[in-house]
Amino acid sequence: MSRFIIPKHLEVPLGACLPAPVKEQPGMITGNWRTERPVIDHEACTTCLNCFIYCPDACWHLDEKTEQMVWNADYCKGCMICVNECPANCLSTVNELEFPDGVVRLEKPF
Amino acid sequence: MAKEVFYSGCAAAAYGAKDARVEVISSYPIRPYTGIMMELSKLVANGELDAEFVLGEGEHAQVSIAYGASAAGARAYTGSSGVGVVYAMECYSPAAGGRLPCQMAIADRALDPPGDFGSEHTDVMSARDQGWIMGWAESPQEVYDNTIMYYRIGEDHRVQLPQFCCQDGYFVSHIPGKMQMEDQKAVDDFLPPYNPPHPLNPKKPINHGPQIFPDQGSAINVQRAVAFDDIEAVISEVVTDYNKAFGRKYSPFVDEYMMDDADIAFFIQGGHARTARYAVNHLRKKGVKAGVSRLRFMRPFPTEAVAASLSKVKAVGVIETNTSYGGVTRGGNIAPEARAACYNLDNRPIITSFMAGLGGEIVTLNEFYAMAKVLSDAVKSGKANNSYWMNFEKEVLDTHK
Amino acid sequence: MAIEVKTQNLEMVKSLRQVPQEEHYVPGHRTCQGCGPALVYKLVSKATGGNAIFLGPTGCMYVANTSYLCAPFAYPWMHTQITNGGAVASGIEAAYQVLIRKGKYKGELPSIVVMAGDGGSIDIGLQAMSSMMYRGHDALFVMYDNESYANTGIQVSPATPYGANTTFTPPGKNVPEGRVLFPKDAPQLVIGGHPAVHYVATASVAYPVDLINKVRKGLNYKGPSFVHLHAPCPKGWLFPAQKTIEVAKLAIQTGMWVNYTWENGEYTYDHTPKEYKPVKEYMKGQYRFNHLSDAHYAKMQAFIDARLKAPGKPIAIPVLGPREQ
Repeated sequence: MSRFIIPKHLEVPLGACLPAPVKEQPGMITGNWRTERPVIDHEACTTCLNCFIYCPDACWHLDEKTEQMVWNADYCKGCMICVNECPANCLSTVNELEFPDGVVRLEKPF
Repeated sequence: MAKEVFYSGCAAAAYGAKDARVEVISSYPIRPYTGIMMELSKLVANGELDAEFVLGEGEHAQVSIAYGASAAGARAYTGSSGVGVVYAMECYSPAAGGRLPCQMAIADRALDPPGDFGSEHTDVMSARDQGWIMGWAESPQEVYDNTIMYYRIGEDHRVQLPQFCCQDGYFVSHIPGKMQMEDQKAVDDFLPPYNPPHPLNPKKPINHGPQIFPDQGSAINVQRAVAFDDIEAVISEVVTDYNKAFGRKYSPFVDEYMMDDADIAFFIQGGHARTARYAVNHLRKKGVKAGVSRLRFMRPFPTEAVAASLSKVKAVGVIETNTSYGGVTRGGNIAPEARAACYNLDNRPIITSFMAGLGGEIVTLNEFYAMAKVLSDAVKSGKANNSYWMNFEKEVLDTHK
Repeated sequence: MAIEVKTQNLEMVKSLRQVPQEEHYVPGHRTCQGCGPALVYKLVSKATGGNAIFLGPTGCMYVANTSYLCAPFAYPWMHTQITNGGAVASGIEAAYQVLIRKGKYKGELPSIVVMAGDGGSIDIGLQAMSSMMYRGHDALFVMYDNESYANTGIQVSPATPYGANTTFTPPGKNVPEGRVLFPKDAPQLVIGGHPAVHYVATASVAYPVDLINKVRKGLNYKGPSFVHLHAPCPKGWLFPAQKTIEVAKLAIQTGMWVNYTWENGEYTYDHTPKEYKPVKEYMKGQYRFNHLSDAHYAKMQAFIDARLKAPGKPIAIPVLGPREQ
């Protein structure tokens, strides 16, 4: 019997070996970093895929069924590279305060 | 078939590694451990051992290659001596904290300055607190046996720690002795293939070693503490099994010689223990009731076994073979640990550091007599200094006259 | 009879449409807004296609990516020290060679990728990188170059350009230009002395299809390859986060960065502009160069002009050492 009690919140997998994430890493939600978000005009979008390829946070993807770009609000940090690199000018920068779900507060300091 | 051979400690380590079927070996030359890699490179070159022999560009890389291979799921082997051992210092904690049970053969060598080929344990003793298993062999036979036993201890899922499998440079590494090499099949039965719980495998991906919250740092540390709590039971099990399989007579932690009726004892690790036993035979003839207690593991330090052994005598001289400048005894690192192990005893013995076996010097019979004199006087007077630098200490030299 | 070790054979992509939508470097990491190195990570991960093992030497892409016990890597990934990325990769590659040979691992040799920063590649990590290249391990060494030790607060590295203000090279009365030295040429270090290497390439986040193809080409070689990837750092170079790609493109248009391939001794150059813009145009957009005078810009222009005569090749560049100045 071990003499140790390890509190739940301090538990670390042995040797710090964690299962790899699959599609997203929900342990690090970064959507709450943004002050602005990119808003897409699907009519004007040519699906040139610039936003998809240039996003450092992999927050733009092409939905193959609808042939439309899909934005990932949970992780977009609001860097606006996509807006800057959009040749069709179909992306615009809109303040987070404009949205009912805007300005997500941090629940904990990190 | 087991066979009797006449091998040096270096060859014994190499053949131990071969019989343990190591899969990745990383080398870099430095005396005196080099002989191990020379032997292994031949075994790989002529097809007797199917392993990758990777030419490291230094000891830092050697250990990195070994723990990388271990993370990928291969049994990995490396080694070094002296300044090489301390050059790799950065890599010891990642290997232990990442729970990667590679093995590093050490043939001790004094640290610079200036260059000194001689044996001294200070090199790897500097790394004793990194979470590696550490112990010394006193003969080529024990080197061979430890190499195989350490893998089974380190790879046990209750342990999962890398191992320093140490021998004294030259005294053990370069002096051949008669030893028995075991049948490969029997070694395979004793030592199952390395089966890591989570290797780096694209079919079952893991992320190994992401950053943590500072308050989780202690939780990572406690993992190693748990392993070192459990490890003594594992070592006892493995040594018992090994003794049974191959007819050896190792005690797991402390090897005693004439301790049961002794008044004074030499406490020592490594090859100088053989000289110590020889000296004890002579001392006994002179009527001095001396004994030898030999430490087989420095990490884990076998607290209870040491206390039980040393409590049999009234005064203990720790033959340090390593230095700890400015340390508690102004001597070496072993006496403080031995003292601490005995602290709670009602009848704790006097324990002092004898600074001998440094820089490659032989511990002579005369030195043993001088040490015995110091210890016998201590028994009478009830006290001794914290440390004695043999050959330099005024008090010892005077007594010796 | 030894089992043949099969390796991946990755197809080249021709357009953005052919780039897989699947992410292996997934969203959910603490890199800065507009992070160039994070984009490099995403593109390299896409290029490998998942059957890969990544090594992350300490640096931004370790610390920022894997904060607080979570990491964004959908493939096996392991932290290494900043010093030993190449060595740990060597050990892993050697392990896979022997495990496949012995039939203990069934499948193709995974793509083994070291993702080292400039410090982990050509400064403190140089020895391990060079030795992995020299020994001929079947692995790819990626140097994502954000031209500084950014994780610790933007300190100078051997990849930092002349004139940059870093927290170890602040401009002052006695050192008006801040960074005095010109950078090490990383690809030349590899090309110049590693007989086992057949493929070295430079690429930029500005041209992602090219970057993916170069990574794939490097991985397809049975042996070590080196790719040097330009990764602008908004925080370290001090430009707005949305301009990462703009800055990367301007670097190519001014000759600050040259995309080229060295394959079996032959150089080919990509994205060469018809006419180079003055380097001042590139430097003006970054606050790290804000303190420079025209004389400093001229010095930088002279360096770039000389280097552009034969990028990636050993030519004499008129640069004075610090003791000659």
